[in-house]
Amino acid sequence: MSRSSEDVLLIVGAVRHKKVDGTLYMMRERLAWMQSNKNNFSVSHRYCDIKCQKISPDSKEKVQLQLVMHDGSAKTFQFNNTTGRPAQQHDRDSVKEVLQQLLPKSHQKISGELEEKNRLLKDDPELFQLYKDLVVSQVITAEEFWASKGKKSTNCAKNDKQPIGVSAAFLADIKPQTDGCNGIKYNLTADIIESIFRTYPIVKMKHAEHVPHEMSESSFWTQFFQSHYFHRDRTNMSNKDVFSDCAKKDEEEMKVERAKPMGDLSIDLVQIKDFSLGEGYGLVNEDQKGSSNHTHLTMIRRFNNHSTMVLKACEANKRAATVTTDSVPTSNISTHPGRNRVMNEMGQSSHLEPQTKKQKIQNKLGFEDLDNTESQESVNLKLSKLERYLHGPTPLMATRYNTSEDVLTATQNVSSEVSEWNLDLSQVLGSSVAVGVLGELSPGGSLMQGTSEQQLQQMVSQHLQEEMKQLYNALLELLRHFWNCFPTSSKFLEEKVMRMKSALERFQMVKLLAFKERLQQYHYAINLTGHMDEMLSAAYSKFDNWQIKKLSKKS
Amino acid sequence: MSGIENSLLVVVVDTNPIWWGQSRDEEQIKLTLTRCLDSVMVFANSHLMMNHSNKLAVIASHTNKSYFLYPQKEHSKAVSTAEDDSQIRQVDGKYELFAQVDEEIKSEVKNLILGGLEGELHADSLLAGSLAMSLCYIHRIEKEHRSIGSSLSSRIMVIKGSEDNPAQYMNFMNTVFTAQKQNVVIDACILDNDSGLLQQACDITGGVYLKIPQLHALLLYLIWVFLPEPSMRHKLTLPPKAQVDYRAACFCHRNLIDIGYVCSVCLSIFCSFSPICSTCQTTFRFLGPPKGSKKKSKKSSN
Repeated sequence: MSRSSEDVLLIVGAVRHKKVDGTLYMMRERLAWMQSNKNNFSVSHRYCDIKCQKISPDSKEKVQLQLVMHDGSAKTFQFNNTTGRPAQQHDRDSVKEVLQQLLPKSHQKISGELEEKNRLLKDDPELFQLYKDLVVSQVITAEEFWASKGKKSTNCAKNDKQPIGVSAAFLADIKPQTDGCNGIKYNLTADIIESIFRTYPIVKMKHAEHVPHEMSESSFWTQFFQSHYFHRDRTNMSNKDVFSDCAKKDEEEMKVERAKPMGDLSIDLVQIKDFSLGEGYGLVNEDQKGSSNHTHLTMIRRFNNHSTMVLKACEANKRAATVTTDSVPTSNISTHPGRNRVMNEMGQSSHLEPQTKKQKIQNKLGFEDLDNTESQESVNLKLSKLERYLHGPTPLMATRYNTSEDVLTATQNVSSEVSEWNLDLSQVLGSSVAVGVLGELSPGGSLMQGTSEQQLQQMVSQHLQEEMKQLYNALLELLRHFWNCFPTSSKFLEEKVMRMKSALERFQMVKLLAFKERLQQYHYAINLTGHMDEMLSAAYSKFDNWQIKKLSKKS
Repeated sequence: MSGIENSLLVVVVDTNPIWWGQSRDEEQIKLTLTRCLDSVMVFANSHLMMNHSNKLAVIASHTNKSYFLYPQKEHSKAVSTAEDDSQIRQVDGKYELFAQVDEEIKSEVKNLILGGLEGELHADSLLAGSLAMSLCYIHRIEKEHRSIGSSLSSRIMVIKGSEDNPAQYMNFMNTVFTAQKQNVVIDACILDNDSGLLQQACDITGGVYLKIPQLHALLLYLIWVFLPEPSMRHKLTLPPKAQVDYRAACFCHRNLIDIGYVCSVCLSIFCSFSPICSTCQTTFRFLGPPKGSKKKSKKSSN
């Protein structure tokens, strides 16, 4: 018998398919059936191809299971265990259960991936354009496209669903409806059942014990709501009830809870009394007010227990999350930052109590911000040639050398000029000179270069700009794939390089050349595609070098 | 006066006698200090004429000091005003303020040039000091205006011929950043060599930097480019802003470099790598790139 290397979850012998005996294998990814005297699977289906399963009713003679595929076809398996009908049913049920677990998983996975990709494309119009350019025009395959994008998408998809907390009022929120004839109808949703299970693990246990075999789903829940366990203030106990032992367990648990040390030492709950302080202005004897009604007490205890359970359910969630993500043993601490840490540790080790108490008081009394912070010793910077910093970024130019004679004559010139100075303000500017300068300063003049020039942005039409942007996007994506292959450390990368090279060539032929031809119609003075050509030729030369090296290595 | 903003213009004129004296020797440049000052006077009068509440100050940036040409100090003014004003009015019929500005500038320049020729002379001017002085003056006038509840926009106009002094760099840049913070625009009109410092100053404060090709037509450049308020310049077609060179000079050779080495301790800039920083004596243990991939893998495994 050939065994596949896949994980085999379940093997069921004596399964008939098309009136031939064989064995049914359930693997992690697929389901297969093998004829009993053959070596290969004559039927094999991936779980994601299976739409649903159907089982024959108990009233029927044959015990059968039918698989309905997505394409509409169906496969029927008959369970033919020789030991008898219960065994056949057991076989069938085990197969059914495994399928029940696996089918939704594979469906979720598939649809999740597709949805994720779809969402990515929808959210990002640029990516969508890229997808159209590269995949739809068959420059690269869809798998390659997503392989590069996949890292990003899985990154964000990695943090799985946030667990939903349990509402404290979830039981009260189930609004029973009267059906008019002395009965009450409860509407239970999957969420509510989930909440009940999470808060009351005992109920879950009972559910698991009883439901498939001894009673139906609905009768279980009817019992639950009828039981004294749900209506806790009822005092009659009957041993018949499914939930009778639950109450006892709950009592024990409450005791355990009570025995646990309090979180905050500075609060003494025992001292707290159940009355309002200012009532009667202190004249009324306060002790009278303590509630003595037994039913009230049980009620309050019940409520407290309920709250504890809800809180526990939430905490269990959190803990599970932290353990799975960090797997650090101190997960308790990480969930309670800062001061609360002290309280948590206390719960585990009571002998630390006095110390933690002290610390707690210290925490309340002292403030860190008010502490004297010690000044840190610093190393002094010893700098030489400080003047270096003070010099400007002026290069040492050969300054005009001035002899003292030059200086003297210059100053004499200036002073003689100034001493003979007479104001003649109307003659400062000659008209011909002024006209000349006006030409310089007018648009097109020697000083105005660059102001009148048209911007490239205005020259090229919006439509062409858009197209060019898309071309750039596509080309850069291809080039990224191309350069990613280097160094070509594996056979796969080498193949990819070849593929990318041909993809680049195809891109140049199909897209870039067409774009160039259209550009020619507009007669632009500037070469708009020059940069893209350069990038392509750089990639080609790299490829050629690589190929030459590879050939020389071989020979 | 709502709607129209009062404007204070501080003109900083380079009066370095060495540069002005030299430049007169060269034939192609026909601009002399006096002609330059004439142009400045006309420019200043134009500014005052734009709005009767416009303010003006003229500062001479000399080789060893900065000197107020206009307005004069209060006490010296008080002595002369009464007689001078009546004289001027008799001489020709021009606006008294213009006449006063012209006369004051002229007499102060003569005081400065003829009287102030003692001590060492440098080929560069004390530009950073003059800018700081203008900022102080602007600050004072703005404070006065604020106290009477009117607003004032101020700018500094630098007319410069002599060369930059690298030793003034720190002071210069500090005043430029102060000006930027005080919303004071610095314009520069360059007569001779390009000034890297003023290019940066104009770029930082949003002013116009212009090196004029024809010196003798200085006035036209002044009126055409520099007279309009900065607030209305964007509506005019003015010469485009030049690319400013913000490169740093290396500490070792004073070369302007695009890419260099910076000491991680003292931020000194070098054009070539040296294992010891020559400014702070820090030693760099520099690990060169591993030569082969084999070595690399060995290292990583260790």
